[in-house]
Amino acid sequence: MIRGLIFLLLTFFSGKLLPAGESECGSLESCLEYKADVHDLYSLQRGLGVYMNYCSSCHSLQYLRWNRLQRDLDIPETILQDDLILNPEIKSSDYMIFGLNEGDSTAWLGASAPDLTLRTRVRGESWVYTYLKSFYEDASRPLGSNNLVLQGSSMPNVLASIQGNQQLSDKGFLVKVSEGSLTDEQFDNSMKDLVNFLAYAAEPIRRDREKNGIFVILFFVIFTAVMWLLNREYSKDIK
Amino acid sequence: MGEQNKSFMNWIDKRFPVTENLERHLTKHPVPKKVNFFYIFGALLMVIFMVQVITGIWLMMFYTNTEEGAFASVEYIMRDVEYGWLMRYMHSTGASAFFFLMYFHMFRGLLYGSYQKPKELVWLFGCFLLFLLMAEGFLGYVLPWGQMSYWAANVILSLFGAIPVIGPDLQVWIQGDYVLSGATLSRFFALHVVVVPLLMIALVVFHIFALHEVGAGNPEGVDIEKHRDENGMPLDGAPFHPYKTFSALPAIGIFFVIFFAIVFFAPEGGGYFLEKPNFEEADFLKTPEHIAPVWYYAPFYSILRAITFGIPFLGITSKFLGFIIFAASIAILFVVPWLDRSKVQSIRYKGIYSKIGMILFAASFITLGYLGTKPVNELRTLIAQISTLFYFLPLLLMPIYTKYEKTLEVPDRL
Repeated sequence: MIRGLIFLLLTFFSGKLLPAGESECGSLESCLEYKADVHDLYSLQRGLGVYMNYCSSCHSLQYLRWNRLQRDLDIPETILQDDLILNPEIKSSDYMIFGLNEGDSTAWLGASAPDLTLRTRVRGESWVYTYLKSFYEDASRPLGSNNLVLQGSSMPNVLASIQGNQQLSDKGFLVKVSEGSLTDEQFDNSMKDLVNFLAYAAEPIRRDREKNGIFVILFFVIFTAVMWLLNREYSKDIK
Repeated sequence: MGEQNKSFMNWIDKRFPVTENLERHLTKHPVPKKVNFFYIFGALLMVIFMVQVITGIWLMMFYTNTEEGAFASVEYIMRDVEYGWLMRYMHSTGASAFFFLMYFHMFRGLLYGSYQKPKELVWLFGCFLLFLLMAEGFLGYVLPWGQMSYWAANVILSLFGAIPVIGPDLQVWIQGDYVLSGATLSRFFALHVVVVPLLMIALVVFHIFALHEVGAGNPEGVDIEKHRDENGMPLDGAPFHPYKTFSALPAIGIFFVIFFAIVFFAPEGGGYFLEKPNFEEADFLKTPEHIAPVWYYAPFYSILRAITFGIPFLGITSKFLGFIIFAASIAILFVVPWLDRSKVQSIRYKGIYSKIGMILFAASFITLGYLGTKPVNELRTLIAQISTLFYFLPLLLMPIYTKYEKTLEVPDRL
């Protein structure tokens, strides 16, 4: 009977009876798939570099502490103080809260710059990756740029200098119209580093849990085996 | 040493009946020798209940139950509290596991007639536990104070507001404010950590006492009490301890392998255990694009949404009718013992209509669950309406088909 039930369900869900879900990535048919790798320490460090250079003037990381970042990303004390924190009044146990406040942000850009600590968990890693790559020139927008993933986004295209400019073709595709300081591949890799870093910031413990989880599971595998043998002995009595 | 122990136990037993109860509920309590895998879910439910209580206590030590502090305190637990992340993931995964096990446990009950005379009260206490678990899950879901916490709670609370005449006042009374706010959060916290868990513990005790009074069932629906050996132990039975306790341990091990695989490698459960919008703090000015319940409420939420029509001449809006049908979908489970008129307990010996009924019931429950997590459109609403019908029909028609269908002869022994 159970087999019949499973068969019935499979036929029901496998047929394209139900309409597909709407795209998460705005006017794009689907997001560019990207799964962050938080175990590549150098990538996380590079991602932090991209973040500090291109994101941190507006976006805070309000749930991440400097010293947690230092410990997890293996950053020397002097570099943390002199090149990252900069302000001597900020302690290393403080949260990574940066310059642009909500009032200024709303006045200058029309919206507050959201905190990015949990952004990859809110939107998903693929979404963030796709979003970063989908800016284009749009003269109708106040700041001259728009984004395919989030139409009417208030965020200016701060990545144009490294990516180069993109425009929207008549068919709705993005076409590159000028070169940036990075090649396409380098830019792609930088954005991957950045998403990796953001995924780390969203959940600093992820590196540990993905590394050590296997031991917990192994423990229970052994536990199950021992208990199975024990139970086999007991159940002989009642055969 | 042995003598000393004996006199010590005698001293205790004269004042508090430890030995008597151990024998009654563990070492001399007979349970059927042969059962199938469906019979493990009760033990696993006890385990997960303990996991929830213990992790819950630790979360409570660091959680802040205010509108301003709730969301940040969860991130504090995730980042600054030693192993706080583990407690939190175990608790959130535990909630999903709890429902998963509960649904299988109840489905087992339906399949093998674990509600039939004289087990009506075991089933009733169990149904109350499902109801309490749903309340507990809902209350707990609000506590992280994320976007989905806030807006899903709004949807559910507005259902009370849809009740004619008393609705709006009732909603304000439950919320403790004119809108869902910090006042609601702190009372939900109190209910989640004290009131509902206490009631659940009481009902678990009732559930097990009632079960031990009437005896555990088996997939054959055979009454094992009929044939006993010279010591009074049923021939097809064995003492609960050590035989059942040790047979449960490997199953508990396997359960924890799966449980911790999720906790460590996929705590978000693909967005079904921890929903994406809930990583954003509640904002009462910004409604999420698509409000979806967690998967375990999805079947019932689907029923709620499937009712797109009211009864205008009675002054019943579609929302209120939806609420009634939604409540009925849970309430109907309570009366199942009195709907089933079959002479046999187990689906194995019941007739073809019972078998078709069970398949339809399970299939519609899963379909409703699937639809409940998706945004609505016309086709989906239609399928949800049909599924709602097939959720109720097998139960409503039960008194007829179980009475007249042809059943097979139940064997005498297991």
